[in-house]
Amino acid sequence: MSSLRALTLFFLAAFAAAAVLAGYLTYAASRAAVVSAVDRRIGEVGDAMLSAVAPGDSRTILRRIDAFSRRRDTGDIGFELEDARGRRVGGNVVLERTLPLGFTTLRRRDGIVGLSAGRAQSRDAGGGLRLITIAETEPIDGYRATRVRLYLIGFGTLLAVVLAGTASFGWIVRRRIGEVRATAAAIIDGDLTRRVPVPARGGAFADQAVAFNRALDRIAALVEQLRGVSSDVAHDLRTPLARLRARLARLAERPTVSGEELEAVLAACDELLALFAAILRIAEVSAGERRAGFRPIDLAGLAEQACETLAAAATERGQRLSGGPFTPFMVRGDPQLLSQALLNLIENALYHTPAGTSVTVTLEREGATTVLGVRDDGPGIPAAARALALRRFGQLETSRHRPGHGLGLPLVEAVARLHGGTLTLADAAPGLAVVMALRMEA
Amino acid sequence: MKLLIVEDDRDYADSLREDLAALDHEVTVAENGRDALLALERDRYDAVILDRMLPQMDGAAVVRHARERGQTLPVLMLSALGRSVEKVDGLEAGADDYVVKPTPASEIEARLRALLRARGWQQQGGDGDTLRAGDIVVSPGQHRAWRNGRALDLAKLEFGLLAELARHAGSYLTRAMLIERVWSYDFEPSTNIVDVQVRSLRRKLCAPGEVDPIVTKRSVGYMLRA
Repeated sequence: MSSLRALTLFFLAAFAAAAVLAGYLTYAASRAAVVSAVDRRIGEVGDAMLSAVAPGDSRTILRRIDAFSRRRDTGDIGFELEDARGRRVGGNVVLERTLPLGFTTLRRRDGIVGLSAGRAQSRDAGGGLRLITIAETEPIDGYRATRVRLYLIGFGTLLAVVLAGTASFGWIVRRRIGEVRATAAAIIDGDLTRRVPVPARGGAFADQAVAFNRALDRIAALVEQLRGVSSDVAHDLRTPLARLRARLARLAERPTVSGEELEAVLAACDELLALFAAILRIAEVSAGERRAGFRPIDLAGLAEQACETLAAAATERGQRLSGGPFTPFMVRGDPQLLSQALLNLIENALYHTPAGTSVTVTLEREGATTVLGVRDDGPGIPAAARALALRRFGQLETSRHRPGHGLGLPLVEAVARLHGGTLTLADAAPGLAVVMALRMEA
Repeated sequence: MKLLIVEDDRDYADSLREDLAALDHEVTVAENGRDALLALERDRYDAVILDRMLPQMDGAAVVRHARERGQTLPVLMLSALGRSVEKVDGLEAGADDYVVKPTPASEIEARLRALLRARGWQQQGGDGDTLRAGDIVVSPGQHRAWRNGRALDLAKLEFGLLAELARHAGSYLTRAMLIERVWSYDFEPSTNIVDVQVRSLRRKLCAPGEVDPIVTKRSVGYMLRA
């Protein structure tokens, strides 16, 4: 019963059976009603014929038959009077067979002129006489056949309409399913641009097609992103790995290796491991897993700790880091991730600006938005290069020789998105302002 | 220490065993959870180093079973991925600490020592309010510290760093442990924040002529002289 075809056939069979049964019941009920009305009438007429008649007085009965036959309201009633041996004594109809006492159904083959179906009552008229009263049960001749024909036409038409409707409904559903199936098949074959055609007139099928297409759009975007990331990863992992390999190859040729040289190789390994840690961290944040750990935190405390943590490093680099003390600032979020984002932003500012630069951390509330800013008065990034700076591994050419794996800002952006926010790079004239706008409930 | 390593990666288990043996520990390796539980029933160990991802019975299940059987020894869990969900699962199952692979043997040793010391404090009935290490006195309750009776003017993180070192005076704390305990960060920043902070703490601890109370051990970490 799971296929559309089987479902349609079952429905049609059930409908046809119901139609035939309904037709037969209607027919039987109306026939029974007519038969009982006719029986009542011939019974009453028979009573009237025999009332106050002496047993065996056939002359009086025949006279009454004659009189009844001429009256308009009883002219359609047939009578026959028979004697004790079943021989016809008189009447206005001729019966070919002897009927039993009581009611009998008559048919065309009973040979009564002008009668195709009727009812007869045979009763004892006294003195061995029998009076048979006959009336038609059909308003017109051959009514039974006509009625069957009418039923056939009526129910047949109904059946045909339902059949056609079901068939076209099935065809439409099958066609829509076919379109979705064809799209799915094309996508399985690798054509991610294929979409389900959307019916122009709207409706449930159009809504479904639109929803399906939106899911496909999202998947295509994610796949595209994944392709980009994996080629970036492949590209950017090659460089440090190639460097490490070259270094090891050089060491392999030496008869002895100094501890210092080994330290350098280990440091290169650590850099690679840090790169992997950053990739995994971004994946963890992007997957939204950390949302479960959101809790109320004081963002001011986190920002102050970040500033205090890096202030000494800034001083050692000949730079100045300022920020805070801030007033308590309660939000819901992940303290680890927000701290990491803050540290990344500050480190980013410190490592991409020369000695003598001042870096300032700000924390403000603008309506429902929490704005965390890190501004510097360094050389800044040209507007055209800012989008590249946000891309994974999107290190600017100017910073290729500096430490870092190029995943700092993308991680900050992933953290911002997890907290319902955005990350923007702006001109601080002079220098760069990196602003994280977060929509966090207090 | 008598240690049990539960790790299905033979190469990694062997290198870890050699490194820990070189640090004078007696090490046994179990390749799966069942063997680990049997070994724990058979022998007494000081601590367990348990891989998170094991065939059949995973690390969290192993530690849960061990705890159900009344094993109270410290369990350090190793993970290849280091996702926070995993970490929470591991700790909830009954592990005491959690580190991400590859972890040097020195880091593992320092963490196990800290876990054993923490067990000792529990038996003594808690961590006293005032900490003493040589001529240094730290009062976490008052948020104040002195050296040779001279009050030290420390910033918040410097104070936290000194208190943590004083709590473990006489043993090494690794950079990763200090980042976790002093900063409460679950990540390692690109900047060597521990080294920078230790440098500024040293400057404030040492008056002219005083000995540096903080000992640095290359590629391990820092220790405050007891």
